[in-house]
Amino acid sequence: MLSVEGLSKSFGNQHILKDINLQLNDGETTVILGPSGSGKSTLLRCLNLLETPEQGTLTIEGDRLQFGGKLSDAQVRTMRQHSAMVFQQFNLFPNYTALQNVALAPTLNGKLSKSESQQLARDLLVKVGLEHRIDSYPDLLSGGQQQRVAIARALAVSPDYLLFDEPTSALDPELEAEVIRVLIDLARENRSLVVVTHNMAFAQKVANKIIFLDEGRVAFDGPAGDFFASDQPRIRQFLNIFDVVSSAS
Amino acid sequence: MDRYLSLWAESLPQLLMATLKITIPLSIIAFILSIVIGIVAQGLRSSRFKPLQWVSNIYVWLFRGTPLLVQLFLIFYGLPKLGITLDGWTAAIVALSLNTGAYVAETFRAAVASIPRGQFEAAQTLNFTKLQTLRHVVIPQAVRIALPPLGNDLIDLVKGTSLVSTISLIDLFQAGKQIAARTFEPLAMYAEVAAVYLVIFTVLSILQSYLEKRSNRYMRSVHA
Ligand SMILES: Nc1ncnc2c1ncn2[C@@H]1O[C@H](COP(=O)(O)OP(=O)(O)OP(=O)(O)O)[C@@H](O)[C@H]1O
Ligand SMILES: [Mg+2]
Repeated sequence: MLSVEGLSKSFGNQHILKDINLQLNDGETTVILGPSGSGKSTLLRCLNLLETPEQGTLTIEGDRLQFGGKLSDAQVRTMRQHSAMVFQQFNLFPNYTALQNVALAPTLNGKLSKSESQQLARDLLVKVGLEHRIDSYPDLLSGGQQQRVAIARALAVSPDYLLFDEPTSALDPELEAEVIRVLIDLARENRSLVVVTHNMAFAQKVANKIIFLDEGRVAFDGPAGDFFASDQPRIRQFLNIFDVVSSAS
Repeated sequence: MDRYLSLWAESLPQLLMATLKITIPLSIIAFILSIVIGIVAQGLRSSRFKPLQWVSNIYVWLFRGTPLLVQLFLIFYGLPKLGITLDGWTAAIVALSLNTGAYVAETFRAAVASIPRGQFEAAQTLNFTKLQTLRHVVIPQAVRIALPPLGNDLIDLVKGTSLVSTISLIDLFQAGKQIAARTFEPLAMYAEVAAVYLVIFTVLSILQSYLEKRSNRYMRSVHA
């Protein structure tokens, strides 16, 4: 379980996240929606401690962090083990092949031997459909392939929660489809996913839970079905932009 | 023309001797030291302790902001007034290393700064330690980015060694100058000196483009 209580985050004097409270269940897919600038990326990054909130607590699988005071390196690293981020721009290491990108972290974290890591990396690359590109450098892969390597790389550290920040926004539609397919597979395996996306078809198809952020506050938190059927004006206005018709009507 | 050919043939051994004894060893030693200095300066600059950053910044400012010739004179003629007397060879090594080190530090700073932020975030999310990030993300990418400017720093250093003739070392340039004075053939002699520098430059350029190709082997732009 992942829970957030009273979380706040500012940049300078800009208050971005205001008193966020959430509870996510293991094995579910949570989709975070909201207008641009509403704080979706910031929230996701706080869960992985790429940003440090000023206030609140974060609890994942029983490990709890209280923000506000100084956090030790060890505290941050322990909490970070529970999640891994997949970025919009992939951020693969260009100096390593697909296999090396995936195998590096489990080796360095000391969880697996070098050969075990490579076997794991191979299995994960097969899983995301890249068995034929195992030895390619990222620069020689398409965007969709790079993002699938990045997903395999995040899976390789066995995180409890996989975090995705607009994983398909940098991709053409055909390439987007191949990445979405991998995400759907992961959701079907009952992995715990937290996905920031503008892909409403994906959200409608696989989300168990929707969190709708508006100006740094949680404006909706509930089952996906309820969200798409909602008649709250703010939500309808948001969904209209995506031509999503109310599933209740 | 015959006169020139025989003059060139006669003087070449002396020029090569000066090149092998002074110009090349001075360049190699100063370059190695300047890389060490550049790494240390970049390390200080990225430390969290402000005074260390100042030390590094002031060093780079001083040595990039003043001419090599002035630095050479300060070290060779000036330091004895403070009780530090260095022989010509040592003074040359010190001045050239410190001078080139400042440029190398700048090269490293720019290389590290040009690594995209996303690379550090990827290392963070995978829970790499600082050292692992340095070893697997920063250094490999910084080296690739730094190679071309580093090659230029070395080429500038080789040419800069000609200034050590002013502190009584007989390098390639000084050897040529002495023969020119003796034979009254400045055109022939300085042309020959220039030709030897060009040979060194050409060898370095070939080496540089080979290393660049190697370090770019995983980038599409070079394969295409
Ligand atoms: N590092 C930062 N420094 C200063 N301001 C920031 C920083 N990161 C984000 N912000 C600001 O915080 C606000 C929320 O940004 P965030 O990226 O979380 O929004 P978002 O909901 O992900 O938007 P988008 O849909 O455009 O990605 C924005 O106003 C943004 O300018
Ligand atoms: Mg965002």
